[in-house]
Amino acid sequence: MSVPGRMKHLESVISVCLLAVLVLIGIGIFVKQSDYDVTRYGVPPSPGSGETSQQQDGAGQSAIGAGLAPAGFEELSKAKSYNSDNLYEKINGKAPLYTESGFKELFTQRFISTSDPNLWIEFYAYDMGGVKNAFSVYSVQKRAESQPYPSIQIAYKTSNALYFVHGRYYIELVGSAESDELFKAVTEIAGNIQANLAVDKDADMAEFAMFPRENQVADSIKFYLENAFGCEKLTNTFSARYKIGNETITAFLSKRADSKEAEAVSEGYLKFLIENGAKIKDTTNKTIAGRVVDFYGATEIVFAVGPFVAGIHEAQSQASAEKLAEELINKLKSINNE
Amino acid sequence: MNEQDDKKLNRRQLLARAGKAGISIAVAGAISKLLYDAVGPRGGVEDTERVTLPDFSVQPRPGQVISIVNGSDRIKTVDKAIELLGGIERFVKPGETVAIKPNVAFASPAMLGATVNPELVAEVVRLCYSRGGAKKVIVTDNPINDPESCFALSGIGKAASAAGAEVVLPKAQFFKHTSLAGGKLIKDWPIFFEPFSKVDKLIGITPVKDHHRAGASMTMKNWYGLLGGRRNIFHQDINSIIAELAMLVKPTLVILDGTEVMMTNGPTGGSISDLRRANALIASTNCLAADSYGCSLLDMKVSDLPYLEKAEKAGAGTTDYESLKPIIATVS
Repeated sequence: MSVPGRMKHLESVISVCLLAVLVLIGIGIFVKQSDYDVTRYGVPPSPGSGETSQQQDGAGQSAIGAGLAPAGFEELSKAKSYNSDNLYEKINGKAPLYTESGFKELFTQRFISTSDPNLWIEFYAYDMGGVKNAFSVYSVQKRAESQPYPSIQIAYKTSNALYFVHGRYYIELVGSAESDELFKAVTEIAGNIQANLAVDKDADMAEFAMFPRENQVADSIKFYLENAFGCEKLTNTFSARYKIGNETITAFLSKRADSKEAEAVSEGYLKFLIENGAKIKDTTNKTIAGRVVDFYGATEIVFAVGPFVAGIHEAQSQASAEKLAEELINKLKSINNE
Repeated sequence: MNEQDDKKLNRRQLLARAGKAGISIAVAGAISKLLYDAVGPRGGVEDTERVTLPDFSVQPRPGQVISIVNGSDRIKTVDKAIELLGGIERFVKPGETVAIKPNVAFASPAMLGATVNPELVAEVVRLCYSRGGAKKVIVTDNPINDPESCFALSGIGKAASAAGAEVVLPKAQFFKHTSLAGGKLIKDWPIFFEPFSKVDKLIGITPVKDHHRAGASMTMKNWYGLLGGRRNIFHQDINSIIAELAMLVKPTLVILDGTEVMMTNGPTGGSISDLRRANALIASTNCLAADSYGCSLLDMKVSDLPYLEKAEKAGAGTTDYESLKPIIATVS
């Protein structure tokens, strides 16, 4: 059997290539093995505490915790930060609410009164990546029995806590007791955050001004990133509540890329309602003819104005719903013509 | 080997080369066979370390499965609720060791209702000692947050210690792997085991809470605290894991505190305004029965919580708590 010279050369080249591939595979296995995630196999990285190595001391990583301690208070715990992988270690089952709304990072820290160990405050700053995301988690968790907190534009307080939106951050300041001294400290921390934590201004919240002002319930605006009123097509939707007579009505609007998309979403929501049992109602208002439905006794209206999808949700009175719809249409038309 | 040899390969050389190649392949194959792990990584857990949680349940007594006591004073309502089921003497015998597993999930003040009320835990500890004649009571949980902070800031650690219990914080060596027979999620999974391996009875105590993922957190969800590892992955199938926990853990008694109910923003809450006073406390030998009543305190129906139906189908009990003839009382 003879092996020509060029064949021998070819064999050598192939052999070297094969050896190189094997070496690369070996290196790959070695690298992957050193980065091996045992948790994929149900093995706890730190089974005792449930606090994994991913949880980090936030001190030094961010200026958020620095300089926040109010007068008469000191650090009770070091600042800590959590990412979307380990947020559950801090808030367990509530983590998906944030991670599904653009969550980036959570910074937390506790401060305790130097005079009364029963008085302490926990500070949470959720970086939601954008003001709309921050407003979304703020608004969907808003407590029914809250009180306004006029010092901050988007804020409310309860008897032991203060909640507000600061740029892309959703902030919670939770006190351990109902106490004037504690709440004074809470407001001081809030002031420190506003003074020290630089953020972009709320340019993205122009929708606030797009709702008619008359009869609007104060601080009732909410923002749904997804699934507004249970409809998948209704994303990035703002809602506001109105008190008309004895009735509370919800108006909603969502700005889309263009009028074509707005029309499609409007049709999609109408179809969703009808598929779920809604029936078209007669109306004398030609602008919304065919867009008013009875949904198990409540009136729903949906329409498109330029790039906006808007409408009325769960109104008991068709007349009130149509009146508010008309005001909303006029407002959106004027904005669209500007 | 000269150039001529390079060009020509005789039979002997061919056989020699083929033999060498065959030996190389055989050796590589044998080494691979030797090193191959058909089971995969197990985190160093040997078969002998796999455990089964003991069955802590007591003999059922028809008509004494669930009691519901209305009242605002937790000490009085829990005393009455246990009394109606036959008294603590039914559940704890003299000389026994009892583990109490309260919900201490968060480093949160007691008044926010994210954790169980410390005085309620302390009262059950006292009952175990004074009426049950327990030799030892331990209070333990594997919280979401740092355990030491959770027991300290919730006040449960201090209250339990003051009542004479030993507070046991989780350690890495307390976790052992277990599998639930027929389970699809609890398979070779680490659980908080060691403290429960040395006790005779197990009592779960938990508040009624709204839960963003599960809908509600009650006695069955309380056993989530026994799970180790990256247990958050179970949030993807929260209903199945709660139903499996109801099958895995067979407690002696569970106490569901609905004195103040976290109606919104659970399971963490954060504001007192998340709570509503319902003035109800449930004691039961069956988690499913307790939770099936407990959901009404959250203005929910059994059908609103799929894990209840799943647990019933799995054989954890009945959601029709009325059929168990609950004993209802009011204390002032």
